[in-house]
Parts: sequence; C-alpha cells; structure tokens
Amino acid sequence: MSFKDRTNEFHSMVDRIRSRNTASSTLERRSLLSSPKFNSSSNNKKPTHHSRSEFSLMAGEISRNITNTAGKLEKLTKLAKRKTLFDDKPVEIGELTFIIKQDIAKLNKQIAMLQEYTKGQRHPSKQATEHTSNVVVSLQSKLADTSMNFKDVLEIRTENMKMSKDKRDQFLFSTAEQNAEQSFVSSPLLKSRRRGNADSPPQQQQQYDPSSSTATNNNSNSALLAQGGYQPQHEETDSTLSLGIPMITPEQQQQQQQLMLAEQDRYIEHRSTAIESIESTIAELGGIFQQLATMVAEQRESVQRIDQNTEDIEMNVMGAQRELLKYYTNISSNRWLMIKIFATIILFFLLFTLIM
Amino acid sequence: MKLYSILILSKVQDKAQIIASQFDLSSFGYFQRGSVQEFMNFSSTTIAERTPIGQRQSVESENNVAHVYGHPQDIWGIIISDKEYPSRVAFSLLNKILDEFLVKFPRDKWNNPPLNYPELNDYLLKYQDPKQADTIMRVQNELDETTAILHKTIESVLQRGEKLDSLVDRSEALSSQSKMFYKTAKKTNSCCVVM
Repeated sequence: MSFKDRTNEFHSMVDRIRSRNTASSTLERRSLLSSPKFNSSSNNKKPTHHSRSEFSLMAGEISRNITNTAGKLEKLTKLAKRKTLFDDKPVEIGELTFIIKQDIAKLNKQIAMLQEYTKGQRHPSKQATEHTSNVVVSLQSKLADTSMNFKDVLEIRTENMKMSKDKRDQFLFSTAEQNAEQSFVSSPLLKSRRRGNADSPPQQQQQYDPSSSTATNNNSNSALLAQGGYQPQHEETDSTLSLGIPMITPEQQQQQQQLMLAEQDRYIEHRSTAIESIESTIAELGGIFQQLATMVAEQRESVQRIDQNTEDIEMNVMGAQRELLKYYTNISSNRWLMIKIFATIILFFLLFTLIM
Repeated sequence: MKLYSILILSKVQDKAQIIASQFDLSSFGYFQRGSVQEFMNFSSTTIAERTPIGQRQSVESENNVAHVYGHPQDIWGIIISDKEYPSRVAFSLLNKILDEFLVKFPRDKWNNPPLNYPELNDYLLKYQDPKQADTIMRVQNELDETTAILHKTIESVLQRGEKLDSLVDRSEALSSQSKMFYKTAKKTNSCCVVM
C-alpha cells in the first residue's frame, strides 16, 4: 500500500478553518470599529454566519447519531436472525430494542428542533434556505429508513420467536397435546394435583400467617375452577420449587412449564386480539368510505340531469321573453301607424271642407 | 373498573421489600382503609416473592385482582384492582411504570425505602378509566365513534339522493312548462296581424 503524503492537505484545512474563525473575528472587529450605520448589516452577517455553522454542527451531530443507531440496529438484526432454539438472548434483544426505540425518539425530537430552528432563521440567499431545508429533509428520510429497518427487524424477530415456540412444542409434543386440551377446562387429574399442591405449602410455610395464605389459596382455587383465567396455582408450585422439596414428578414439572409458557403468551395473545380487532375496524371503516364514494358518484349523475334541465329552462324563458318584447314593440308600433293614418284622414277631411 | 393501588417492590435476600407505592382507597370505608392497606402490602410482598422474573400473573381474591410482573432487572410491579379492570391494560401500565422508574431511580437509590415517586399518583389517577388512558382502547373507542358518525353520514347521503331525485322531477316539469310558455308567446306574436 503506497503512502500518500497528505500533510499539505492537512495544513490547508487548518488554515481554512483558522481563516474562517478569523473572518468571523474580523467581522466582529469591523463592527466595533465602524460607525453604528454599518452595525446593522454586519450584525446581520455575523449571526447568520454563526447560525449557518451552528446549523451544520447540529446537522452533523444528528447524522452521527443516526449512523450510531443504524449500527446498533445492525447488531440487533444479527441477534434476531439467529435461529438457535435455546441460546436465544431475549434480555439482550429486549434491551437493545428499548435503546434503539429511545434513540429514534430522541432523533425525532432533534430533527423537529432543527426544523423549527431553520424556520426561525433568515438567510441572506435563497439557495441557503433551500440547502438547509434539503439537509433537514434528507436527515428525516434517513431516520425514516432506519425506523423502517427497525420495524422489519422486529417482525423478523416475532416470526423467529413463533418458529422457535413451534419447535419447542414439537419436542414437548405429548404434554403439549394434553395441555392444549386442558388449558381452558380443568381436568380432574389436574384438579386433584393442584389440590394436592395446595395442601402442601400451608404445612411447610409456617412463618406466614397460615389463615390468610390458606384463605388466598382456597379463594384462588375456587376462582380457578370458576373461570379459566390466569392460574394462581403457580404460587404454590413456585413455593414448592423454591423450597427444593421434590413434591412433584418431572412430568408434572413439564406440564407446569408448558402452562407457564401458555401464561406468558396469554398477555401477548390478548394484545394481539385487541390489535386485530382494531385492524378489522379500520378495514370496516375503509369499506364504509368506499360505499360512501360510490353513492356520491351515483348521485353525481342526477345532479348533471338537474343541471341540464335548468339550462333548458333558462333558454326557454329567455326566448319567451324575447318574443314578448317583440310583441310589445309590435303593439306599440301599430299605434304609431294608426296615429299617422288618422292624421292623414283628418287632413283629407279638412281639405275637402275647405274646398267646399 | 377501579384501580386500588400500585406498588413497586424489590427483593433483598429473597425477601420482598416495597420501594414505592400509591393507594387510592376512597371506595373503602374510612376505618377500613388502614387494614386494607396493610393487607395489600402484605399480600403484595407475598406474591412478589413467589413470582419468578419475567413472568406475569394475576391473583384473585374476593372481588380484587392483583396483577404482578417481575421485570428482568430485579424489580417487581404490582397493580391491585377490581375484577373488571382489563388485565392487558394493567400489564402494559406496569411495563410503562417500571421502565420509567428504572430510568429515574437507578439501582443504588433503592436502599432507603419508601421512595417518593409522585408519578405513581398521576398514573393511578389517569388510569382509573382504562378506556381513555390505554392507547389501544382509546384508538378502538375513537374508531367506533368514527364508524357511528360514518353510518349517520351514509344515512344523510341517502336522504340527499332522494332530494336530488325530487329536484330532477321538478326541474323537468319546470322545463316543459317554460317550453309551453315560449311556444305560446311565439304563437301570439306571429299569427294574425293585431289590430
């Protein structure tokens, strides 16, 4: 690899930056020395000069943050794409998603601030305003791309989670089948097992107030039998597990692990159903809007007919008015004629009498 | 649908300890409030000790439900509400509260309970009506209102259609009448010279 001697470039850059700084300081000196008349113009130059460099500083910082976030997103993509069954690192992925979300929100705010800042700035040339607005738009589009990628990564992650859950279910196939049938209906086997568990903890945990614990256990058992919601018997199983006394067989443990997984998903299922209902409502709304548009389009035809009819009416009425006017002029003109005829007749009569 | 309390706990050597809590016991009688609060504290410590990290549970007793979530960073959040309060909203509220709490109070400040976290009170008040506070429910509500408004709009568009049809008929009648008018005027004008 040949080395390139770039010290000259470095020196020229340093000189340029120094001249830029001295240029601003000379502007300041000029404003101090010159008369107050020139103050306004140089003052106008100074803040815009500073503001332009300030703008570029802010824009540079924002783009740096965007590249950082993009780097974190790449890491997250790598983590999310792993298809191993057991080495999944949900904690790390969750933390990373949280951090990226926060970063994106912060970047959004920064870009909004930058936009307001540019709106409040007056620039000497139209090109400078165009430039700043272009920079802001490009930053926004970069951020939009990053958030689109983030969304894709999250979708990939959910798909992978679903796949891994299916694979896990395949391995625990038999117990999964049992529990799928029994998740909402408590079988007598499970009921008896739970009651057996309910009896054991009160005997072992004497430090707690036994009455209240049995009360809650009994109530929770009755609530469990009454509705198939979240099952609180995990309290009892957890307590037996934490005490380390093997009160349950491995098969039961597997079953309860299955139930626990089903529990975890229940919250997520609730959310997904709620969001699906929102989606269907929105689709319904879309259909209603379509219908509305169709009806209005049909009515447009009636409106055109009405339009045509009124134009005809206007034409007819105008024509009729014209005729009547002609008629009127005819009548009035005939009178004039009559007058003239009578006048001549009278003249003739007068002539006759004079001759006579 | 009421929220009774929000509690945040941490575990110190396998024993749960309440770090911050807020209560809204206005629906209980004045003399019962003390004992109810004691009961809530005790039951929340008990439940938190038995909840593994990363798991959500809901425990019912009489008419009240305790929704509990063990956050992966060793902190538990419990919301005690009545049975009708939707569990989904409670858990999403727990997520939000625990995240903000972790941002505001890093781990080293947990040593002197109880901490003062006034946002808990705001959340407790705001989320008394889950339909307004939870985003998903609010969106669903607004969508339902919009659909109702759209149905009314379609009704009025139908009526507009009917009125437009009647307008068409009337304008046609008027048009034929004006034509007759024109013809009559023309007739009186041209034929037979007027006197």
